[in-house]
Amino acid sequence: MNEADQAMLAVDFCGLSLTSPLVLLSGCVGFGEEYTRVRGYSNRDAGAVCLKGTTLEPRLGNRPHRVYETAMGMLNAIGLQNPGARYVVDKILPTLDFSETRFIANLSGSTVEEYAEVARIFDDSPIDAMEINISCPNVKEGGVAFGNDPDMSARVVAACRKATSKPIITKLSPNQTNIAENARRCIEAGTDGFAVINTLMGMAIDIEDRVPIIGNNQGGLSGPAIKPIALLKVHQVYQVCREHGIPIIGQGGVNSVQDALEFLIAGASAVGVGTALFYDPLICPKLNRGIVDYLKRHGLSHVAQLTGSLRLNS
Amino acid sequence: MNKPHRDTICVEEAEIISHDAWPGNQYILRILAEGIAADAKPGSFVHLTVDPQRPMRRPISIMRANPKTGMVDLLYKVVGEGTTLLSHRKPGERINVMGPIGNGFTVDQTRSLPLLIGGGVGMPPMIFLAEHYTELAGYHPFVILGSEVPFPFQAEPSKLIIPGMPDGVIAGVPLLEEWGIPSRLTSLQGYPGCHEGYVTDLARQWLDAMDESDRKQVIIYSCGPHPMLEAVAKLAKAYNLPCQVSLEEFMACAVGGCAGCVVKVETDTGPAMKRVCVDGPVFEAATVF
Repeated sequence: MNEADQAMLAVDFCGLSLTSPLVLLSGCVGFGEEYTRVRGYSNRDAGAVCLKGTTLEPRLGNRPHRVYETAMGMLNAIGLQNPGARYVVDKILPTLDFSETRFIANLSGSTVEEYAEVARIFDDSPIDAMEINISCPNVKEGGVAFGNDPDMSARVVAACRKATSKPIITKLSPNQTNIAENARRCIEAGTDGFAVINTLMGMAIDIEDRVPIIGNNQGGLSGPAIKPIALLKVHQVYQVCREHGIPIIGQGGVNSVQDALEFLIAGASAVGVGTALFYDPLICPKLNRGIVDYLKRHGLSHVAQLTGSLRLNS
Repeated sequence: MNKPHRDTICVEEAEIISHDAWPGNQYILRILAEGIAADAKPGSFVHLTVDPQRPMRRPISIMRANPKTGMVDLLYKVVGEGTTLLSHRKPGERINVMGPIGNGFTVDQTRSLPLLIGGGVGMPPMIFLAEHYTELAGYHPFVILGSEVPFPFQAEPSKLIIPGMPDGVIAGVPLLEEWGIPSRLTSLQGYPGCHEGYVTDLARQWLDAMDESDRKQVIIYSCGPHPMLEAVAKLAKAYNLPCQVSLEEFMACAVGGCAGCVVKVETDTGPAMKRVCVDGPVFEAATVF
């Protein structure tokens, strides 16, 4: 891609300069180096890479099976397997090449204090931003239990806000009644941006043994199956964000150029790519190319012009 | 910064060269995938798309890989909708394949008598490892394969004598025989020339028939269903033999990114969840079972 085309894709997100609106989603790309195993893959094709969910202490995660294919989707219940925030900051971040892309930490905890402590640890690191995961459906404590309660969501965001001056992106759950109200409370509490949405809770059953296939019994549903839900949630959250100038990473089942464009038009400033990488690890350059081609075809000079350009039927 | 893991996995639009059905819903798929064939090692696997309507790829172990011709042979069994769709793919079509992936088997230079035990669709890595041994001097591998559906090859009476085998257990794998590697087959289905029992029964008889000094030369490699691997690991422990097993698990990314395919292993610092895709698929049996 030439420089002029690349410039069309540049996005300012919470003060971070992203070379592309594409963001690789937490939990899909490990701690940033895993996909570089693939020949032809480059972190440079993504505007940002969200690292695996990190807690204060190491976690083994859930028992297998942890992933299972469903109709145009996938269930997962990893259970936040991670080596703990201190290890990530001391041992993993120094191995990342920060010239390649922006790296975003993903924070999780069982208590408000734990979230804040993890935020403090990452605050003293080269990480570019922090995503607060108050929507993980696969752990018993914290996670979605916080994300589904606007009061708790706001408390987590406020605690992290005090702990860091780096940009905070709050990852919202679709498994709640009023996502827009939750977003409003998180903005008041100091979030700089949102990631919309996390996975939807789901189940698959082995009918021979009559047991859930996922070791954790339930899991989070991702993939093309959830895209229409995600789009609506982005649209709803955008209505709140617009007046505050708060940007959204739109995510959930993005699998094609069409999908990425839909999220941008619905109100996203950046677009998350997760499950689609599993099918096509080389998808990012194709999406970047396709977005540029669309912009040119529509006489637009910059991807930001698409954000929230949706015209509702009257 | 040194990053040796980078660029180790190819993504190829591989042409299907042949796709042969065998009884028991088994298929042998030959693809032209030069990058994968060049770097494949016994125990490594590919991760392939089955259909654009199926968002997850399927991990399939490599049976043979020829770096000169670029051919990669895979054996799989139809077990669900994904593999059913795969079985419909025709020669001449292309299929997106990632590979080679994973840490393969490690040859132990101090042990000249490798025992290779494969069960069901766990047979392919044993074939690959056996072929690898043909390139090495000083080793005398023995292969035991078990299956509860007809074997995906035409078994023939073996001309290679193996001490300790029960009477009538003479069926072997022609390909291995060609390579000068003895093999025997087991099944509970009463197939001619096969041992009616488990792979571990034959393994035990083979081990019992050798003297103590020979037994110290044995190392066991295995791939197959989990209960079989557990039995193999138990056997290895009973005879105090090193044992490497290749595992399988539902898999999403296959590059270490999602931690979806883990197995619990014992490490020096306690239990850990290791990724079958890039930490494995081959593990020391004693750390898993």
